[in-house]
Amino acid sequence: MSAIQLSRVTKRFGDVVAVRNLDLTVEEGEIYGFLGPNGAGKSTTINMLLDFVRPTEGTINVLGESVDTAGADLRQRIGVLPEGFDVYNRLSGRKHIEFAIESKAVDENPDEILDRVGLSDAADRNAGGYSKGMRQRLALGMALVGEPELLVLDEPSSGLDPGGAKEMREIVEAEANRGATVFFSSHVLGQVEAVCDRVGILHKGELVTEDSIEGLRADSDTEETLILTVDDATDDDLDAVRALEGVSGAAIDGSMVTVSCESGAKTEVISVLSGAGIEIQDIETESTSLEELFLSYTDGEGVVEKTDGKTETTPHEPPTPEGGQ
Amino acid sequence: MSWLVVARKDFEDSIRSRWLIGLTALFVLLISAVAYFVRVEGSGEASANLVLQTAGNFFIQALVPLIALVVAYNSISGERKSGSLKLLLSLPHSRADVVFGKVAGRSAALSTAIIVGFVLPAIIFAIGPFRLEIGAYLGYTLLVALLASVYVSIAVGWSAAAPSQRIALGGAIGLYFLFVPFWDAIQFPLQWAIASLPEWLPLSSEAVNTVLTLSNPSSAYSELTFAVFTGEMASLQLSALSMLLFWLLAGPLVGLLVFERRDL
Repeated sequence: MSAIQLSRVTKRFGDVVAVRNLDLTVEEGEIYGFLGPNGAGKSTTINMLLDFVRPTEGTINVLGESVDTAGADLRQRIGVLPEGFDVYNRLSGRKHIEFAIESKAVDENPDEILDRVGLSDAADRNAGGYSKGMRQRLALGMALVGEPELLVLDEPSSGLDPGGAKEMREIVEAEANRGATVFFSSHVLGQVEAVCDRVGILHKGELVTEDSIEGLRADSDTEETLILTVDDATDDDLDAVRALEGVSGAAIDGSMVTVSCESGAKTEVISVLSGAGIEIQDIETESTSLEELFLSYTDGEGVVEKTDGKTETTPHEPPTPEGGQ
Repeated sequence: MSWLVVARKDFEDSIRSRWLIGLTALFVLLISAVAYFVRVEGSGEASANLVLQTAGNFFIQALVPLIALVVAYNSISGERKSGSLKLLLSLPHSRADVVFGKVAGRSAALSTAIIVGFVLPAIIFAIGPFRLEIGAYLGYTLLVALLASVYVSIAVGWSAAAPSQRIALGGAIGLYFLFVPFWDAIQFPLQWAIASLPEWLPLSSEAVNTVLTLSNPSSAYSELTFAVFTGEMASLQLSALSMLLFWLLAGPLVGLLVFERRDL
């Protein structure tokens, strides 16, 4: 039995397609990282898993049950940290955890859970006064109640400082060791890289790749990143580049064009751009980091940071591509 | 009993609401002022119930629906907007549990405030030159709590169905004006229209009129005050009670029907 199974799921909001024809399977016991830039459709997908939002087409099974017919009982077996939630301002942190315990009708000690998520000191304060990070911890605590078989965490690290994000990862790992399946979303690769067995990358509502971290890393090793400084280019110009064989992605940020491709494809990329009348002023190549590979899959949504050391530069014109052909 | 868990949490949450406390305090002060200032001419001790029924009832009819609507119009649409509804539905509660839990929790919170609030006027009545019939007074208090619960139910139902917070608020204001100041104005032309129903209809125009009157929870409540004060329950009062119970269920049910199909 798969913990999560989406088949051919599409969700439209009016004219906007938030999720398109998504097939996704998460096996039991897995830690699955659901990656993608903001607005890729991650939260919509998660909201459909929880029956907050109904798919326009397709079927969704969670823990072997169809979510549209399973009803509230299914959530007895799931722990959820939703995105865009709010706490009950007038109730204390402890009351929130107690409410989750009563709702799941389990016999657990709220103090142990509060301690686990690092809220012991603030337990009796009204949650209305909590910071974003504390609210996040509180909701995680509510999700952990009842030792759920499946944890669904939507952007769990948002609002957390690096220390808090690390604690979050430790909790995720501890839950997986207990035997739980963990499905969590993030727009930052670094947060899933360390813990996930498998990642899926969602972009514009479609799953663009799905692999283990090792698999992605192997991909990134054969890839190179070409960073071109150009006089003037638009995203449309890049479509011809994206269509080339060996190119896995291309992005533009101001006058900087970033192309992820196999080494052999670099000459082609440059000649296509030159052919389009674009003046190339500078060329750099880098071996692709995992982060850049992620960005290449999502057309560079996010910021590409140049890393020093691995950069070769040829500031001459006409450009001569380096690397063996 | 998932809805009971939701109801208990909602009770604890809304009993701490400043709106609930503030409005109930205002209401209690007004009733107390009535108890303190209104004096009945004539010899002997007048009944406290008479004062309540005449002077007090005006404030109750105007304020109780208002407090109930204010306390409940936001109960579901507000949580949907803020996102706390996601926290609630992440737990094993169905949407029906949420709607009926909210109705029960908020009605209980408001009823508690009303019952506690009626203690002060009772003391003033007891000290003043009135005859306080405890049984009838208690019955009256519970009836006011029932009226409040009916308006809470309607408001929660509306809140569940409303697509946005703004519409939830607009609807609550509309419901208040419909049921409280404008009902007579609406009913009057209707009464006139149905005064001459065709013979073949198996309904008399009086019957239609009664239904029309009682379908307003506030008028149904007024009918029931007679039952409380006289201790007699005629068929009209029974109909009025049934109408209140109908609203208690119909409001949330209709709201739930819409809410079930909605994306959060």
